[in-house]
Amino acid sequence: MPAPIEPISPLLPTPPTPPTLEAPARTAGSGEDFASMLARGLQELQNLQDRANDLAVQAATGTLTDVHHYTIAATEAGLAVQLAAAIRNRAIEAFQEIMRLQA
Amino acid sequence: MTLFSAIGIAGTGVTVHRKWLDAVSDNIANINNASRTNAEAFRARYVIAQEALDGNGAQVGGIVLGPQGRIVYEPDHPLADAQGYVQYPNIDLAGQMTQLIMAQRGYQANLAVVDRARDAYLAAIQLGRS
Amino acid sequence: MFDDVASAAIRVALDGLAMRQRAIAKNIANIDTPGYRARKVLFEAALAQAIADGRSPYTVRPVEARSLEPTRLNGNNVNLDQEILSNIDTGLRYQLALRALDSRYDTLRSVIRGQ
Repeated sequence: MPAPIEPISPLLPTPPTPPTLEAPARTAGSGEDFASMLARGLQELQNLQDRANDLAVQAATGTLTDVHHYTIAATEAGLAVQLAAAIRNRAIEAFQEIMRLQA
Repeated sequence: MTLFSAIGIAGTGVTVHRKWLDAVSDNIANINNASRTNAEAFRARYVIAQEALDGNGAQVGGIVLGPQGRIVYEPDHPLADAQGYVQYPNIDLAGQMTQLIMAQRGYQANLAVVDRARDAYLAAIQLGRS
Repeated sequence: MFDDVASAAIRVALDGLAMRQRAIAKNIANIDTPGYRARKVLFEAALAQAIADGRSPYTVRPVEARSLEPTRLNGNNVNLDQEILSNIDTGLRYQLALRALDSRYDTLRSVIRGQ
């Protein structure tokens, strides 16, 4: 599902941001393996980045209707990156630990 | 419409009330401005407010002129005509003062909206900063 | 990650409060406009209802409506005292909602760093 784009018209009530992923299936469902969970997480990260970028452009060109839309998107994208980096670091550490045990 | 739309909207309110203030101040300043009877006397200006065309705030809809001047018998006045009449503007000072107070109130109320909108935007910009 | 009920409700509230702030600005700009009816923004009741029903807060859209309060002689029904109070109230609620989101972000940050 592509990232939702902020509507530009300032006169209509801006619809609240729908979730970038559907809420169910957030916990591991039947048969969902780690790899697909990871892929889904990375896709959400990309969606958040795209949305933050789109809103940044709107802020720059003066078409942004609500300031908090941009700051929320930017913060969430930033946190998602930090989380992904932490997960990756952990995964690398665990991998190295395993390799050390086998040596 | 500016990026920070509440500020832009309040800005239209500031402008309308400032123009109103200017018109009333002008009316009061000219209240004793005599002229010859064969000339046009100063007529009070009334600013008509209307909603902005795009619905975002207010705008000046038009200017309405007050009544024509009134003739006063003052034979010693330098501008008096052959019969001793001079023309003065037909402006009621009490009415103008009432308008002044209302225009002032609206002007300051709109400025306060700008202040509060700015505070809200600053808070939104701070969101997420660690 | 960011779409639990509380976060979603806060985000809908932020939209509604920003819209309300604009409506108040329109009302105060038009305090002396003949025939002008005050605007107001509604969303709190709908939001509370959605949460009580178990629906997603994102199903709630803030709406702007015209006030039916009685008008003065010139047809204007903006109550300046009420608008000023509402302006202050809305601004504080907006900042409170931002603060609520911020504390969620802080929690997430500590979780990340704690790794």
